[in-house]
This record gives sequence, C-alpha cells and structure tokens, in this order.
Amino acid sequence: MNIPILSAVVIIFLGIMTGLMYLGSRKTKTDSDFLVAGRSMHPWVMALSYGAAFISTSAIVGFGGAAGLFGFSLLWLTVLTIVVGIFIAFALFGPRIRRMSCNLGSETFPSFLGARYQSSALTAYAGLLIFLLMPAYTGAILIGGGRFLHDALGIPYTTGLLLFAVIIAVYVMRGGLRGVMYTDAFFAVVMLLGMATLLFATYRAVGGVVPGHSGLSAIGNLVPAALIEQGHRGWTAMPAFGSRIWWTVISTMVLGVGIGVLAQPQLTMRFMTIKQPRSLYQAILVGGIFIFFMTGTAFIVGPLSNLYFYQTQGKIAIQVAEGNIDRIIPIFVTQIMPEWFLYFFMLTLLSAAISTLSSLIHVQGTAFARDLVENLGINKLLPGASTRFWAKLGILFSIISAVTLAFILPPGIIARATAFWFGICAAAFLPTLVAALYWPAATKAGALASTITGSIVSGFGYIFLQEQGAVAVGLVSRLLGRTTLLPFPWTHIEPLIYALPAATIVLVAVSLLTQRPMAKHLEDTFKKVA
Amino acid sequence: MLGMQDLWISAAWLLSIGSAVGCVIYGAFHWHYENEEE
Repeated sequence: MNIPILSAVVIIFLGIMTGLMYLGSRKTKTDSDFLVAGRSMHPWVMALSYGAAFISTSAIVGFGGAAGLFGFSLLWLTVLTIVVGIFIAFALFGPRIRRMSCNLGSETFPSFLGARYQSSALTAYAGLLIFLLMPAYTGAILIGGGRFLHDALGIPYTTGLLLFAVIIAVYVMRGGLRGVMYTDAFFAVVMLLGMATLLFATYRAVGGVVPGHSGLSAIGNLVPAALIEQGHRGWTAMPAFGSRIWWTVISTMVLGVGIGVLAQPQLTMRFMTIKQPRSLYQAILVGGIFIFFMTGTAFIVGPLSNLYFYQTQGKIAIQVAEGNIDRIIPIFVTQIMPEWFLYFFMLTLLSAAISTLSSLIHVQGTAFARDLVENLGINKLLPGASTRFWAKLGILFSIISAVTLAFILPPGIIARATAFWFGICAAAFLPTLVAALYWPAATKAGALASTITGSIVSGFGYIFLQEQGAVAVGLVSRLLGRTTLLPFPWTHIEPLIYALPAATIVLVAVSLLTQRPMAKHLEDTFKKVA
Repeated sequence: MLGMQDLWISAAWLLSIGSAVGCVIYGAFHWHYENEEE
C-alpha cells in the first residue's frame, strides 16, 4: 500500500470522526445527554450504533478466520445474531428497557437493574463486574487495533496502541454518548459498504454461489488429519456431533456470543437513548441488514477462502496463513481485491475497532460514576463534582486499565477474551434482565443471588474447567499438575452452558421463597408497559 | 443442497438470508405504519 495515500485517507477519516464528535459535544449540555444521549436518538442512528458497538475487529478478523478453519457451521451464529441479537433484542427487550428505565429514572444498565429490584447492592455488584472485568475485553480489542495499525500503517505496535487509546479517551470524554453514537453511525456505514463489497467480490472470485459451495465441498479431502480427528468433516458440513470442534463452534461461538449479545451492558443501554419506544420496531430493518452483512460476510468469506487459495496456490487457508487464523481474512482480501479497496477495508476494520472501544469505555465510565461513586456515596468527598466529572474520571481509569491489560495479555487472546466477556455477561445478567422485564414477581434477593451465582459459576468454569481458560490462568496445573479439573467434554464446553441454567434456577427458586416486591413499586415500574 | 455437503449448513445459509429479509419486511412494515399515523 502507498503510505502517503493511506495517511491522507486516514486523516480525512479522522477529520469526519472529529467533526461528528464535535457535533455531539455541542449538544451535550446535561448529565442525561452524556449518559443516554438525552433520550432523543433517531431509531436508525441507534440501530447503526448498536451494530457498530457489537461488531469489533474480533468479529470480522478473529471469527472470520475461525470460519476459515472450521467452515460454514459458524453461519448458525449469523442466524442467532440476527434473530436474537436484533429481532428479539429490538422487539421484545428494547421497548420495555426504554419505557421502564424512563419510569425508574435510570440512565445506566446496572442502575436500571438496581432500581427495578430496589437494590443498591445489585447496582454496585453489576457496576463492579463491568468496571473490573470489561477492561479484559477492552484490552483485547485494543490489542487488535494496535496490531492493525502496525500491519497497515507501519506504526510501531506500542505507539499504535497508545495512539488508539488516547484518541478514544479524548473523544468519548468530549462527545459523551451523543458523540459516540453519531460517529458509530458513520463507522457503521463504512463497515456496511466494505463488507457488502467483499461478500459479492468473494462469490464472484469462486465462480458464483452454488459453484463456490460445490467447489468447497469437493476439496473436503484436504482438511488436515489433526482437524479430522477433532471432528472436522469438511467446510460445508457440520462438525461431528459431540466432538471437540463441535463443542467449540456450538457452545463457545454460536451460543456464547449468540445468547451473550442479549445481556451486553453497552448494547442494552442503547435502547434507553431512543425517543419513542415503538420506533425500535422500524430500527429492526437497519439492524437486520447491518448484522447480516457483518457476520454473514465474515462467516461466508472465511470458508470460501479455502477454495480460492487452493485454486490459486494449491494450499488451504490455514496453510497460507501459516497457522495463524487471524491472518486468513487480511491475506484473502489483499489477494482478491483491487488496491483501492484495501484502503477502504482498512477503514472498515478501523471503524469496527473504534466504535466498539468507544462504547465499552463509555459504559465503564458511566458505571464508575453512577453505579459505584454515586450509588455508594463516594461523591460526597467532592460535593461540587457533577456526574460528568466522575464519568470522565472513570473513562480515564478504564482506558489506563485496558492499556495495562493489553500489554499483559498473551497473544491470540482476542477471540477468547470476547467469548469470556460475552459468557460472563449472559450468565450474570441475562436471567435478571429477562425477569426484570417480564416477571414482576422476581425479587431483590432472587436477582442478587442469580447475578452472583452466574458470575461465580462461569468464573469457576473459565479458571478450572474450560481448557483454554484454565491453561491461560494456570491455577489447576500449579495445584494438581494437570491442565483442567475434569476431562473432556468439560474442557470444551463454554461455561455459559451450565452457568446460565444455574443462575436461572437460583433466580426462580429464591424469588419464590422471598417476599414479592411492593405493588406500588411494580405499578410505577410497569406503567405504560404493554 | 446449494452445493453444501450437509443439510444443516444449507439451512444455516438460507436462514441467515431469510432472517435478514424478515427483519427488512418487519421493519419496513412498522416504518410505513408509523409514517401513516403521523
């Protein structure tokens, strides 16, 4: 790539981003503007912002590369992200979150749960989970961004990572959620154009839809023996039921992310920003198209790259990428697309990284301000300080911890940290959130017990049972001299699979045994909720 | 079907596109309905 042209493209891109951030900052006059964009966002801007915050470079490069290795079975995650992540989230969760958060006066995800269950302990616990564990996911996305700046622009990795962190911290602090959502919408359009172009170009490169699939089916005999042993049956077939690859694809990738999306604080809080609850129904149009072209493209292009590489070089994707699945998509794009598109694809990945990072940083800052400092009365130490002051301080803390973790975390952590965060969120928050919206009899004790159970059981699973997590932490090998506490299949089952049912059972059981919330509180909470 | 080895994969491919089209139709219907009301 031509560095002067590339630099000019990036400068124009950053100029547009700065302009939108400035527009957001000019309209940010109150705490409500900073926290929930004044609850006045257009549904389409909200849908684009939701999509851009959801899809990071990890989803495109990391999971797209995994599809290059495992095959089309990841398309079940596309189905789930559209049906669950868009349709169910926007039609069944969003309108109630918007209406009830307004009734309760809540402006963050933890404070919404706490107000619904009348529990400041639940607010503090959820805020603490976000503030302490989200930096691991943020750090992983930051690693992806730093690596990408290094590969694309030749900027040294450390400089790129710090540059990324400073730009994002400054623009989230200045623009608040309005600035974040305006820029997200711009990023989403860039991502949509980049990924849609790539999808059509890929099918053209392999001779069309059915010929491409048939060609890929025909080279199924090229799957390496080591992968066949683990259950791989070709790129156009599901892995063998119950095999190692089957558990990895279905439990970690498809269910972990596909269900985890419903309980992501940075996504669910976007429903609070909309002007009219019912306008979320039309936002499904934009959300469905966006998510299809993001995950659908990544999980179609990844497998088909095997056919293209075989036809042009006689090798399959993982061999061309020299064993590193994160390199499959970038190498493939470089080989099939004209040079002008490479600049655009670079902006697509840059957009994906910045939009996700800014959303995560904003949520951590607001969790620090509203759910920890103000909820626990720490703000009395500085009586004159506004919520925005504490939120900016929280943003500063969270960007520092994310950068620190980015230097500590091992390589190859991006997809794993993503699955870890999505899994923890689903187990800790999903039963509590569903009950908050649809089960008035759920109690304060039930919600708190469920959130604690979900986070502890999934944490235990990541540290002691799941092989990838247990090996990374290394506690089991130090204590027992082996990699995990239990043998296969526990080593390949995502902790969400047992932590989510455990948290649900605890929520129902404890709620049935404890006192129902006051009728007046429920009446106020569910006012105007259909 | 569709050149895939496995019907489960053909189903996933079709459902991916089908669910996206479903979202477009559902969203467009509500968009039209809201505009009519206003």
